[in-house]
Amino acid sequence: MRIGAALAILWLAICSATPAFAHASLAASEPRDGAVLTQAPKRVALHFNEKVTAGAVHLIDAAGKLRDDAAVDARDEAIVVAVPPDLPQGTSIVSYRVISADGHPVAGSITFSVGAPTATKAPDITNSGISGLIWLTRVGLYLGLFAGIGGAFFINWIARERAAATVIAAALGIGVISAVGSLGLQGLDLLGLPLSALATAAPWRIALGTSLGPSLLIAIAALGFGIAAMRVQRAGRMLSAVAMVGAGLALAASGHAATAPPQALTRPAVFLHGVGVALWLGALAPLIAILWGRKAAALPIVLRFSTVAVPVVAVLALTGLTLAIIQLESFGALVETKYGIILSIKLGLVAILLGLAALNRFRLTPALARDASAAQPLSRSILFECAAALGILTVVASWRFTPPPRSLLPDAPLAVHIHTDKAMFQVLIAPGRVGSDSFVLQLMNGDGSLLHAKEATLTLSMPACGIEEIERPGVRGPDGFWHVANVPLAVPGRWHMRIDALVTDFQKITLEDDFDVATQ
Amino acid sequence: MSRSALLSLLAVLAVSPATAHVLLEGKQAAVGSSYEAVFVVPHGCKGSATTKLRVQIPDGVIATEAKPAAGWSVETVRGKYAGEYDYKGAKVSEGIKEVDWSGGKLPDKTRAEFVIETYLTDGLKPDTTLYFPVVQECEEGVSRWIEIPADGAVHSHESKWPAPGVRLTPKP
Repeated sequence: MRIGAALAILWLAICSATPAFAHASLAASEPRDGAVLTQAPKRVALHFNEKVTAGAVHLIDAAGKLRDDAAVDARDEAIVVAVPPDLPQGTSIVSYRVISADGHPVAGSITFSVGAPTATKAPDITNSGISGLIWLTRVGLYLGLFAGIGGAFFINWIARERAAATVIAAALGIGVISAVGSLGLQGLDLLGLPLSALATAAPWRIALGTSLGPSLLIAIAALGFGIAAMRVQRAGRMLSAVAMVGAGLALAASGHAATAPPQALTRPAVFLHGVGVALWLGALAPLIAILWGRKAAALPIVLRFSTVAVPVVAVLALTGLTLAIIQLESFGALVETKYGIILSIKLGLVAILLGLAALNRFRLTPALARDASAAQPLSRSILFECAAALGILTVVASWRFTPPPRSLLPDAPLAVHIHTDKAMFQVLIAPGRVGSDSFVLQLMNGDGSLLHAKEATLTLSMPACGIEEIERPGVRGPDGFWHVANVPLAVPGRWHMRIDALVTDFQKITLEDDFDVATQ
Repeated sequence: MSRSALLSLLAVLAVSPATAHVLLEGKQAAVGSSYEAVFVVPHGCKGSATTKLRVQIPDGVIATEAKPAAGWSVETVRGKYAGEYDYKGAKVSEGIKEVDWSGGKLPDKTRAEFVIETYLTDGLKPDTTLYFPVVQECEEGVSRWIEIPADGAVHSHESKWPAPGVRLTPKP
């Protein structure tokens, strides 16, 4: 019954993990990135595409000084930085490090200039040294969950005798150390702190608050059950089964794939994928040990594993395919995005792994059945499998640093906000990239009420490229906003936009601003 | 000739006709005195003949009297002034706010003048420019000469549709 209670706790932990969507991306900011203002703004607002938790958010003024008197406030999807009144003229930088709902940190910076732009250096906010360690602990955690827990499960349920116990125990130990290290490093990454800050409570506290916190706690608990399964022989079967469930839950509690919508599909898929991987990879080390040892006893174990392996591979393929389709959204993303390239490499290694598995299943295992002394080719082949599997784990651990194409913001319209005392124009440009774009002009009075214009005209130019004024009349839509469709933005770069709103026959309000058009 | 050079040449040619604006004849006028405003229309709207000219009378300009122009009928729009002014011993608080010439047809590339008599009250600030926004209506299209630079500064050379203006000088 104690096992049942443990399972219930694991289940509660995963269910209480907050619903999440994807990596957060900065959708807009006020003032916008690169804005040149006549006077310092009272506040800087960063708007994200989802609710975020503020990690390290800094204001660096034009004098290059880190302003510790700038208060940071997180409100749902926005992070608001109160700008101190004595901001010097020139370019200031707001660097941010926020935590997505999926627990991953997202970092970036925006600049704005008071008066005229100056050469203020953006601080280096990438912690490359820590990144390496984060990757290493991720690989270590996978080793613990798959080789460790999977190994414990294999010797208890399939081999039904102890084999490679030292390797399994070592993997479990590495897993625990890596899980703990992963938690602390996550905190350091979020706060932008050096390695020495691991001795303080702050990184640990903030990491526990992210979705990675519960995930790693479940992993540590599962690894504990795995260690217990190796120590307590009598209850080994039940303990290793609980550990296996815990490994699946730990993976399903956090990460890109598990938090992709629809979660009713992705979370179970990640769970099954994780359990499948553990079943397969966990078998490799004990199988080699058994084949090297007593050759005669090896055959029934190999046959038992062979029977289990077929449905496991089917489940792995099905869940992997499902998750890949949800994450990638298109075939092109396989080669066009970092996330997709990693997946492509992984699939290449998986193909090798499957080839070796097929060789073992259809050639080497029958050979072993015919001649008990034919164990050496099979064990050598499984050793290659181990290498391929390790390759996959090291590649997959890099996903920690790449947002999936699903969460990138290709279709979010470009938003430009132009504000004077008299009027406030919000301009949405979709898709905001080179090609044919549509503009929505939301014209408001200085107090935010709708501005009733007789006509609205959009004029675009790009003086740097010799593109003279492109003038287009707006059409008032039923939403009260002015729409301009099919505007050709032929080249990427900084465009100039002027909006003339005719208020009376003899009076118009003209606002101008620059905006950046991306390629693709 | 390279394609980009050709394009930029075309761009220059396309822009140049717009450099002639509806203007006020005469560079300056004194506050606290009568002022004859002569509006010069040098061309139509992008090649189309002018059919109507509307002039808005700015605040501080009173006692407006529109001069007839041959072939055109004159209409005026009356309204309240922004304040109350002393004019020839009387207090005036309302009068003409807009003058419209219509019914005529002025072909493109033909110059014409439209004249109004006014009085510039001494509340107007010397050493600033007084702008008369003008709407030129044509057979096809409208040109609105209504852009007024902020802070009473002179027109930046980028202004495409500047309102005609006159520099004010101190009371004689």
